[in-house]
Amino acid sequence: MSDHVTPTADNLRQIAEQVWAAYLDPEGVRPLLVGESRQAASAVSASVSLTGAWYGHVVVTCSSVAARHAAAAFLAMAADEVSDEDLTDVMGELANIVGGNVKSMLPAATAISLPHVVAGAGNRFPTTRQICELFGTWLDEPFSISMWQGRELAEVPAA
Amino acid sequence: MHAIVIDDSRAMRMILRRLLGQLGFEVVDAEDGRAALELLSGMDPVPALALVDWNMPAMNGLEFITAAREDPRLHEMTMVMVTTESEQGQVARAIAAGAHAYVLKPFTTEAMIEKLALLGLVLTGAKR
Repeated sequence: MSDHVTPTADNLRQIAEQVWAAYLDPEGVRPLLVGESRQAASAVSASVSLTGAWYGHVVVTCSSVAARHAAAAFLAMAADEVSDEDLTDVMGELANIVGGNVKSMLPAATAISLPHVVAGAGNRFPTTRQICELFGTWLDEPFSISMWQGRELAEVPAA
Repeated sequence: MHAIVIDDSRAMRMILRRLLGQLGFEVVDAEDGRAALELLSGMDPVPALALVDWNMPAMNGLEFITAAREDPRLHEMTMVMVTTESEQGQVARAIAAGAHAYVLKPFTTEAMIEKLALLGLVLTGAKR
């Protein structure tokens, strides 16, 4: 029997608090406000995939405005100085950090992929189901972290 | 004092370069272990400190530390694994391979400074 636990929204909240304290809000004045789901007018979505003993994805999604603010905070620069490369790198690193911390809750033989970042429509993961999600707003912009678990390969019907 | 930051994330390299620069280090960086070994082969003096990510393409952090430990030129270099890999088994593998310390991401500036102070690489009470 495995002694791993299935991650919950509360686990994601705890990880998010650490990320905000370390990189996005070290002064403690611009926290992520957990609340209702809200659709971003334009979104950026970063994900990492977990494979091996556990299969699924961790996805960080926010508005493009929030992503720009995240990159500015992470890299200690003004928001209007943030390049598209900065934005992509920081969103990928956020997904990597959240995913890496989630991975520590899963069976040891689980591997994490390099991050994948898309602009516009969010990532889609066929043959998965969402197992938890943390919604909130940051600087009045929508921000979410979600986990998607894949079905066992044997359950996926052949094409 | 010189330091090298080894991480495939450009954003994380920028954060660590900035932090170490504020602590007075002269910093170079590499995006994976293989690039770091190439860079180090031409460096004199060898950096006193290497901050090493675990999961990287080409050569990961564990492979880098193992290779660095086999190079007599790099014996004096203090190596700190900076990673999200928090399982006890992974920590033990890194230490056994030759890592001197382990810092989990996400880390605060204060936590990193405290770790470097314990290693004698910065003065206790250094500020960001």
